[in-house]
Amino acid sequence: VTPRYTELQLDALRELANIASGNAATSLSQMLGREVGLNVPRVLALPLADAVEACGNPDQATTSVVIPLDGDIEGVVLLLIDPAGADALCGLLGVEAGSEIAESALREIGNILGTSCLNALASMTGLHLEPCPPHLATDMLGAIVSSLALAQESSGELVLVMDSELEVANEPCSISFVLLPSDGGVTDLLTPLGLAEAA
Amino acid sequence: MGEIQVSQRPGEELVARGLGSCIGLALIDRQSGVAGMAHIVLPESAGSENEPGKFADTAVPALIAQMEKAGAVVRRLDAVLAGGARMFELGEMEIGARNAAAVKAGLARSGIKVRAAETGGNRGRTMRLTVGDFEVIIKEAGGEQVTLFDAAPAAKAKTRPVPSRAAAPLSANLRSAVART
Repeated sequence: VTPRYTELQLDALRELANIASGNAATSLSQMLGREVGLNVPRVLALPLADAVEACGNPDQATTSVVIPLDGDIEGVVLLLIDPAGADALCGLLGVEAGSEIAESALREIGNILGTSCLNALASMTGLHLEPCPPHLATDMLGAIVSSLALAQESSGELVLVMDSELEVANEPCSISFVLLPSDGGVTDLLTPLGLAEAA
Repeated sequence: MGEIQVSQRPGEELVARGLGSCIGLALIDRQSGVAGMAHIVLPESAGSENEPGKFADTAVPALIAQMEKAGAVVRRLDAVLAGGARMFELGEMEIGARNAAAVKAGLARSGIKVRAAETGGNRGRTMRLTVGDFEVIIKEAGGEQVTLFDAAPAAKAKTRPVPSRAAAPLSANLRSAVART
């Protein structure tokens, strides 16, 4: 069964992504003591290959923090940071880039952003959502995104990517903030909004 | 992802980028000079026919068929595969290992030998194959390029690296071979 989403449903998902990533941007800003900008989120329902392509150059080295979801929906929250941006983040947190402490600092950023995103989603939908402990990996962008998208066991041919860009003011650091729900997860997000029909 | 590429144009590069749990499969028939590559995503098509390159059970025969059309002969094919990593320690991620097993099973059904493979682990990989000198190069995330397989004729010097110069006489031979037929 191929899930197809109506414009109304995509708008609703975009709004969810907007509020969730807005909340995450606020948390990041408080943590770093810097302004954090947020662009208008993209919500893409695409075949897997196109969804991976839309995230960027597949063999680009990328630092990723993966936060699996626990609770009422399945999926992952994913932060994608280019390595220079990850180093800049470490600098802002006062830890040496590439060190073990830097890894836990990046994981912690993932944890805080993931939690604030999930809190926003939970309060809008009434779903129970909790983050699992984050995983950190610096690897090829395509390998990261495709492997995670495949792990959502999306039975259909379309992958839903909810993606927004966080920009840390005056730093060469932008974080791509991606939500990859499983097929069932999308329906579960839409149901409380009364928009699950036709999903 | 899901693509099938076939070429016999010397010097052309076939690439599968950012392989995570996916498999890059290279097939080489050096006698006819035909090479092919598939970027395989999942082990089983479950009857779906619109994207044969995406699934191991359909991609292997589809790649072979396209190569045969270009003049390759199945019993001469050498297979090289890479990918099938487990990128994250998440419960359900056995896809990489299942992909590798499914591709190997598909090759075995067609009697094709796997000459070299680099599968598993937890790193992403990019696979490149240059038509003509038939060298398969793997780059792991954060690592150096490594030659996984080199199907060049024995006449070619074994010492590396000499790709550009060694490739020239070989491709000239291939062109004259094509011209004669």
